[in-house]
Amino acid sequence: MNGRSSHLHLSPEQTAATASVVVLTLGVLLHAGSLPIWTIVAVLGCALWRILAVLNIVPLPGTRRTIRIAFMFATALALLAVLASFRTLNGLAAGTALLGMMGALKLLETRTPRDERVVIGVGLFLLLAACLADQSLTRVPFYLLYAWISCAAFALITERSNAVTPRIALRMAGRALLAAVPVAIVFFLFFPRVAGQFWALPTGGTASTGLADEMTPGSIDRLIEFYEPAFRVRFESRAPSPAERYWRGPVLTNFDGYTWRRAPYAQFREPERVMLGAPVRQRITLEPHHRRWWFALDTAARSPRQNVFLTPDHQLVSLEPVDEAVSYSVESHLATRAAMALSANARRTLTALPGNRNPRSRVFARELRASVTNERAFADAMLAHFSTQGFQYSLEPPRTSLDSVDDFLFDSKLGFCGHFASAFATVMRAGGVPARVVTGYLGGEWNPIGNYLIVRQSDAHAWTEVWFEDVGWTRIDPTGVVEPERLNRGVIDLLPDAVSGPTRFMHRSPWMTGVLMSWDNVNHWWRESVLEFDLPEQLKLLQKLGLDDAGWRGLGLLLAGGFIAWLLWIAFSLRHLMIRTRPDRLARQWLAFCGAAARVISPRTPDETATQFAQRIATARPDLAAAALDIAARYSNLRYGRPPGDKARDQSSREQLDRAVRDFRDHSSASVR
Amino acid sequence: MLARRGAAWIKRRQGTDSLPVTVHARRLYILPTRTGVGFGALLLFMLLAGLNYSNSLALFLTFLLAGFAIVGMHLTHRNLLGLRITMTNSVDGFARETGRVILTVANDADATRFAIRASADVEDCHVTSATIELPARGQRRLELEVPLAARGRVAIARIRVATQHPFGFFEAWTWLHLPLALLAYPIARGPRAPPAGSHGTAYLPALQHAGDDEWSHLRSFRDGDSPRQVAWRAYASTGQLLVKEYESPRGEFRVFDFDELRGLDLESRLQQLSAWVVAAHARGERYGLRLTNKFLEPADGLPHRNRCLAELAVVGLNGPMPS
Repeated sequence: MNGRSSHLHLSPEQTAATASVVVLTLGVLLHAGSLPIWTIVAVLGCALWRILAVLNIVPLPGTRRTIRIAFMFATALALLAVLASFRTLNGLAAGTALLGMMGALKLLETRTPRDERVVIGVGLFLLLAACLADQSLTRVPFYLLYAWISCAAFALITERSNAVTPRIALRMAGRALLAAVPVAIVFFLFFPRVAGQFWALPTGGTASTGLADEMTPGSIDRLIEFYEPAFRVRFESRAPSPAERYWRGPVLTNFDGYTWRRAPYAQFREPERVMLGAPVRQRITLEPHHRRWWFALDTAARSPRQNVFLTPDHQLVSLEPVDEAVSYSVESHLATRAAMALSANARRTLTALPGNRNPRSRVFARELRASVTNERAFADAMLAHFSTQGFQYSLEPPRTSLDSVDDFLFDSKLGFCGHFASAFATVMRAGGVPARVVTGYLGGEWNPIGNYLIVRQSDAHAWTEVWFEDVGWTRIDPTGVVEPERLNRGVIDLLPDAVSGPTRFMHRSPWMTGVLMSWDNVNHWWRESVLEFDLPEQLKLLQKLGLDDAGWRGLGLLLAGGFIAWLLWIAFSLRHLMIRTRPDRLARQWLAFCGAAARVISPRTPDETATQFAQRIATARPDLAAAALDIAARYSNLRYGRPPGDKARDQSSREQLDRAVRDFRDHSSASVR
Repeated sequence: MLARRGAAWIKRRQGTDSLPVTVHARRLYILPTRTGVGFGALLLFMLLAGLNYSNSLALFLTFLLAGFAIVGMHLTHRNLLGLRITMTNSVDGFARETGRVILTVANDADATRFAIRASADVEDCHVTSATIELPARGQRRLELEVPLAARGRVAIARIRVATQHPFGFFEAWTWLHLPLALLAYPIARGPRAPPAGSHGTAYLPALQHAGDDEWSHLRSFRDGDSPRQVAWRAYASTGQLLVKEYESPRGEFRVFDFDELRGLDLESRLQQLSAWVVAAHARGERYGLRLTNKFLEPADGLPHRNRCLAELAVVGLNGPMPS
């Protein structure tokens, strides 16, 4: 903004118009990732037109009636285009596109300062939408920069003067923003964060990465290539060993021979569990994945929030999809025991298999079951089958037919965790043992800098739960038999080809890993401490500040106190920064002279010039004439002489004046005596 | 109605001012502008959206921008606080033309004051000066062009000096109640020829004197000088605005007499006198003016012209109507 205007010599009017164009364009570019290309092209087109009009190269569309009708037509067209792109107008992305288009059209009819301010207002709305869409740490500098530029634009539009260049406007706005930072922090910390939503705007429509509510052979494999974090975990008590880090997600009960699906809850009554051992407390920050699962270490004891349910099969399901990062504390127990027996209905559901699928597997399962004495031995035999019959862990298993388990068990023997889990659960069911598939994540990468665990999409995993009469649900992970290392290490270490080259490189280089871990740590802090700062955290902060049990009153007190202190600080610092009404040095010298002279003749009248006053002294007191005339001449010369120029000469002249005034004072007071 | 009461209250509160006026906090008012109210509404919306979605970043930006606006309010206030109005000039004009009120404002601070302007309500008209910057420890003039509707005195009850610096969210202003009035001279028009000059001087047509060589000396330009008197040729060569001063031989003069203009109504008489004064001044003649109860001795020069026109402007306003 600076450079351009200083080269082109824009008039203040042109600068103000350009500022509004720049703000709107940057505001739309904040959404460059999520807006359709046509919106951005249309906005840039309008902006370019406006800029050319500012430079008097092309005219703006006029105000004739036909043109006003054309504007209405264009507005309607923009509305339809947004509707066609998003299928809705009610949604963050659609609303943003519409706002950007309206702002761009407005650019073409901005004529008054008021119009320009409206455009800046649209820009600030775009900033708000950007905050709602993406709060990640990397975007924060852009948002702050944008707010700064918008504020400077307000200055340019208001001042409209050659003296206020974009650079000066940026400086004025920047100083005011810096002065506002303390109060912003006070309000951020102590403004009560009222919980709950007053209205909801669908933010969906974003493609999501993460576990679905069903599993087909190969569906989990596809997640492995995603290196991004699914969630981060800080253990608030003893951390479990790596092999115990099973993060429970969707529990899949219904199987059609190819796809495992979640069961409707009313299907059967899940037996209650008794939690064993000491709880593991975790603080989990979940990345937005646009589904309703919340994750916790297997097995969560209770729900962390009101709007999240702990289902009977012990998964955490929220009412709303996770569209924004969310932090929660949850307690899990590594071991559980059934408190009651499985009902007949439940047993029927949990051993159900489609009659027409995977015939070979069912025959094999019945034979295997017959060869052993109890259910536990049956499970062990099946695991032994996996480890001895040449089964291999692979990310690229061949495609299966609808008889997916048969294909895997008897033909390819090549599979990923999903294949093993699916096959194991099928065989168990065919042998009459209740079993189901649990999906989630296994393991995670320890961040030694921040002391927390990063669980990535590539840690996605599937395992099984088998019901044994004595203990109830028991986790069995058939993948661990085939690839025991998977329990301790991530997929990326076992199957390097799973991820892209650069990711692999970063993962292997210790230096890069260090950088990544530090960055992730900062990000995690941002998520956990800043973005997830809420009323409970505020109350915790109050306690830390020593205001126990103060609650809302404490918040109010701190808020008011902080605000008043800030106001005083602002008033105080501005008084000293902005306006100093003390006379300058030259005036002080002159006033000293006038004061001394007033002791010998009547004081100087307001309309008397320096020379006239000196002449009056000269007439009344010839003995002081030379000194008075000299002082008046020096004063007039320093004050009004042109050009002020040479500093050294001025300085010596000032010193002479000082001396002359002193002499005059001594002389006149001596003569009075 | 309400506005008038407000104005009366402010007048009572402050009293009539005398120069120089320093803008103290007591006489400095500040309110949000329409932009400010709109910005506040935007911030409220951002606050609700931030709370609704528990969006920490939106909340922080809301608080930051709110703090920014409050800092702006202080800056607006400071921009006018301590300003000094040191001098007022008024330049009278003819009816149906404009006069000017000139305020000289001084900045005693070590920082520039930005975007200051003056405005006034004169009769049914709202007039605004240009927006000026006042450099640190500098002086500048705020000029108000005041339309003069009809002959007479145009009182300027109060002048508003205001600023929206720096962001336009707030406007700070002060009211000046200075004893300021402009005179609207009678329009210079009338068909009659001026009376003959005394001491035998014949009336010389103006055309003969339109040449450049009739003036006696040059002096520097003063407010109110007619552009026709400016020595443009001298301006082109020296860059200084100089005014030609005409001089008639001493002893020759005319007297324009109100009472001799019979058969006309009051305004037409005054307009005719005004026309004669203007014409005589343009020719550099000496002339006097006789009104019903006043006589202005023959003289010449701009001050004399203005004195004569001023007398014509107030005929009948201060005393009884001349018959």
